[in-house]
Formats: sequence, structure tokens, C-alpha cells
Amino acid sequence: MAELPILPPAEAKGLSEGLRLYGWMALSRELDEVLCAANPRWFPSAGEEATMVGAFCDLRPKDAIAAHYRDPFVIYMMRGAEMTRLMAQVLGKVEGYNKGRSVPFTGPVDLQIVPWVAGDLGTSLGVATGAALAFQQEGSDRICVCTFGDGTANRGDFHENLNLAASWRLPIVYVCQHNGWAISQPAKDYLPAPVANRAAGYGMPGFEVDGNDLDAVRRTMLGAAARAREGKGPSLIEARTWRAKGHWAADPEDYRAIRPDTPMADPLVRYGDRLIERGEASAKDLDRLRDAARTAVASTLEAARALPDAGEAELGLNEVHP
Amino acid sequence: MSAEPSRRLTHMEAIIEAIAEAMREDPRIFYIGQDVGAMGGSMQGTKGLVEEFGPMRIREAPISESAMVGAALGAALFGQRPIVEISFGEFLPAAMNQLINQAPNLHYMTGGTARVPVVVRTRVGDGPYGGHPQDYSAWFAHVPGWKVVMPATPVDAKGMMTAAIRDDGPVLFFEAMSLSHAARAPVPRDAFETPIGQARVAREGRDVTVVAVGSSLPLAMRAAGELAAEGVELEILDLRTLRPLDRDAILSSVRRTRRLITVHEAWVAGGIGAEVAASVVEEAPELLVAPVIRIGAAPVPVPSGKVRAHALPNARHIVEAARRVMASTRA
Repeated sequence: MAELPILPPAEAKGLSEGLRLYGWMALSRELDEVLCAANPRWFPSAGEEATMVGAFCDLRPKDAIAAHYRDPFVIYMMRGAEMTRLMAQVLGKVEGYNKGRSVPFTGPVDLQIVPWVAGDLGTSLGVATGAALAFQQEGSDRICVCTFGDGTANRGDFHENLNLAASWRLPIVYVCQHNGWAISQPAKDYLPAPVANRAAGYGMPGFEVDGNDLDAVRRTMLGAAARAREGKGPSLIEARTWRAKGHWAADPEDYRAIRPDTPMADPLVRYGDRLIERGEASAKDLDRLRDAARTAVASTLEAARALPDAGEAELGLNEVHP
Repeated sequence: MSAEPSRRLTHMEAIIEAIAEAMREDPRIFYIGQDVGAMGGSMQGTKGLVEEFGPMRIREAPISESAMVGAALGAALFGQRPIVEISFGEFLPAAMNQLINQAPNLHYMTGGTARVPVVVRTRVGDGPYGGHPQDYSAWFAHVPGWKVVMPATPVDAKGMMTAAIRDDGPVLFFEAMSLSHAARAPVPRDAFETPIGQARVAREGRDVTVVAVGSSLPLAMRAAGELAAEGVELEILDLRTLRPLDRDAILSSVRRTRRLITVHEAWVAGGIGAEVAASVVEEAPELLVAPVIRIGAAPVPVPSGKVRAHALPNARHIVEAARRVMASTRA
């Protein structure tokens, strides 16, 4: 995992594991706040940080990842992607990894990230499954982790890919980042049973986990990842979390007043309290990380805003087919 | 190993040979499909491969075309060079999200960084067993990011499959089923590439250019024989690649003949023949001394029963079109 980019490198290196993970979640929350303000069409991830960080924080650099589209930047940064270049994507700047072409929630391929190249949902499960297939073909112990929403779980690709991965015992962990909403529709309207129950139908282990409990997500992931690495095949994890904001940044969410749901406790607060209880951190340590995140994000945003807009020079007629 | 430089192979045998040679050379190449193992492939299309390469490189997939194509794309993105077979072109729509939203976008949308060397192999059109005749090849020729090929001879079937496998981007390889087990022709034994994007003059002639695709090539050749007796000489261009279109070859032939007919087994409206005609009309409309005629399937879903013969193009259509073109030539 990359060093937390909101502190001087020496200081970041010296952080305890718990504070480092708290720092990544704090960075995600702050980044999300700022990007929502900068781009009304950004898809916020506030409230879902424990699932996002917990699903990916224990992977190796050569493992592959395919992240759910909902503000996944902290996941890419944990692998070493640059905050400025990711922000540039949201602002439509030249320096974005996508050169201003694809949807902004994509990440750099050379960091073993499955990129977002269209707005369709479900296809990333297929490409992620293919990454796992590549690792099986090369005979390595690399694995792939793929997160997706509870709405996406109803695409046919979910069924096709879980069945194929189980049939071929591919080294992949599927994680449903269940935030309770598919845009304006509440999960009880489209999920008659837990997504994790479906694992049994594919002959793979299925787990339901509190997606706002970072430790619980990590624990479940570690078991599933080890299983994949040992060649025992895929697993399905349903991490129950809660969408704290709208589907998109400027979503008026009128539907939410009509179909009220039950909020879940903030994963940052829960994890921070736990660190204090365990004596791993003081309230001051946590404040310091949140302040550092705020400062780093603000200065990076300023730098990203100063970059040139992507334009005709990035049209790339010669980059359509290699 | 025999020293003979070429043998007579069918279209299908030539394709299998190209795949086997490539797989011997490059361990990153593997094959995904249904019934491609013990059965030897739909229409014997993978005969002998599993015996040589084993089940980990000739992988039999569940009936899940979207997952198969997605898995091929992902495997390619992470360093492998898969060939994915969709048994019949009629099943391509089951994988359309991967084929349209992902495959052609991956390189471009990542700022030119992602490489997805994937060959999608499929079969279309009328054939010896009669099943799955719909030909959707033109849909894919519409989309930037794809290369789309449909060879019409055994030698090109081998050369274009080799070129497709060696390409660093996605290539859709359409096999015209009526050609699969048809006439044999000499095919060089050693691996060679037929370049993608280059049409071939299959017959020289001064009067009318006929741009033919896949299964329509033998029809055009038959029509040319009949017309020659009447003193009308067809120049036949085997298009071979639907995207990128070889506009230069089309124009250069029409410069000689000044008349154009297009023929393919797929439907006429929105078909590749329209694109061929447009390439002349846009560049050099003054060349044409007669109306362009496009020939293709009748505008009905290609029927499964005995009605089918009445829906598909044949040599007679080409003969009649050539006569009309000659008769309506401007002074």
C-alpha cells in the first residue's frame, strides 16, 4: 500500500496501522466533500469508507482491483495513484489519467486497476473476472478484488461471472458494496433476499458483513483473499453500508423523504472511537489526520484547478486502436 | 515434418491451423468457447486443438457470452492474448455490453495506455447445417475501436486469423458458414499475415466493380463467368475487412470501371455496401457513369425454413444488377 499522501513521508511511514487506515478513510471523506462541491455530477461515497478501504487495504501491489464507481479515488491512491491527476479527471483537465476522455471515476491501468471506460454497470465484473483468469493462466498467486453496488448485483453479468469464476475456480473476491439504494429505489424493492445468499447457488462461500466496521470488512476479506490465493476459488461478500448522500452530488433526494431509510453509524466515528478505546490513538491524533486531509485536499484542488482543460489536442484519433 | 510449402485446406482447416501455430509460438494465447473441447467445436471449428493444447488452453465455458467476452478482455488487459469464440453470430447480442461499451473503448478511454489483444471469432450466414443464419457483422463495423474482418478464401482465412491474433487491439473475426467446409485451396504451411484493412482484387475486369464480402465472393465469381459470355467484364474486389474500410482499393477499382455494385449476405439498409458506395460518392462522384446497386439479404429476419433461399443474395441477382448497370450507363 502507498504511504498516506497527506503527511510528510517520514511522518506517514511512522503511523500505526490503525491510524494509517483511519487516515485513508478521513482522506476519502474530505476528498468526497470537495469533489462534490467541484462537480455536481460526481457520485459521492460518504458513509461507505469502511467497505472501500477494508476491501482493498490488504492487497499486494500486483493484485488486480476493480472498484465500484462511487468515488473510488482513495482506493486508487492506496495503490499509488496521484491525487492531482485523479482530481484532474473530475475537473476535465489534461493531466487526468484518462486525458479527459472517459468517465472521471476511472484509474490508471498500470497500477493493476480495471479502468472505467463507459457508464454501464456489470461489465466491470466481467473484466475483473478476466484479470483473475489471467492470473490463473500465468500460474501466479495474484488475485483480483471487485466491488460493485447492490443495484449492479441484479445485472445478468453478476450471475454469469460468479458462475464462470466458480466453475473455473478463479482467484477473485466479489464484494457487494450494499448501500441500500439504486439511485432512487430502496433495496427492499429490488432485493428479495440478501445478495450473499446467492453464493450458495454458485457453490462458493458467501458472507454478510457490517460494511461500516472496518475491522469486520478486513477480517472477512482476509479469509476470502487467502482462499483465492490458495487456488480454492472465488467468494462473495456482501458488505452492508449506507449511502449518506444522494446518488449524485446535486441529487435533491426528494424520493428519500417519501421512502425514508435508517441511517447507519458513521464508519469514521466508529473506527476512531475504537482506536481510542484500544489506546492506539488519542482524539488529538484523529483530529490531526482530519486536518491534514483537509489541508492536503484543498491545496491539491487548487493545483488541479490551475491545470489546462482537456480539449481538441486530447481527441486522439490515433489512439482508437493500438 | 514435410517440406511441402503449401497444402489444400478448407476455410475451417486454415483457421484452425493459424490458431494452432500461434498457440505453439506464444504461451499467452488461449482459447475460450463452448463445445470447443471433446466435441471439436461447432462445425468442427476447433478440431484437434484440445488434444494438442489441453483443457487449460482450450477452455470450455458456460453458456455465458457476456462473461466469456468480459473474461477475455480482462485476461488481455492483464497480459494474456485470448481468443474467444462465440459459437454463432446470433449469440453476439448476449455479449453486447462487453462488445460495444468495453472492448472498443478500453484503449482509447485510458488515454491510449490499455492494450486488449482479443480476437472474437464467430460464424454467420447460411451454412451446411442451416442454423443461426443471421449476419450482424455491420453493427460492429460502425464502432470505432474495433477491427472487423470477414475473409472469403482459405488462404485469407489463415492469414487474417494470424493477423488478428497478432494485433494488439480487439478484432472481430467473422467466418461465413457457407465457406467453412467449401472448396479447398492451397494454403502456405508457414505462418503468414494477410494485412487487416486491405481489400484484394479477386478478378480483373473493365466494366463493373463488384465489391463482395465473405460468402458473396463465390457468387460474384460465378456471375462474372456468365457475364463474360455476354461481353461484360466484372472486376471483383474481395473486401476482406469491414473496418477499417479500404477506401483506396475501392476508389482505384471504380476509377477503372466507373460502375459499382456491392454484395453481401447481411441486410442492405445500413449495411457495409452503403459505406462502400459512400466512399466513392464522397471522394469522386464524377467517376460514376451509372447508378450504384447494393445487393444483400431481403429486409426480413433471415428465415430458418425453406423460405430462406428467397431471402439471400445469389449469382442471378449480381448478373441482373450488372446488366441493369450497363444498360443505364450515361452516355
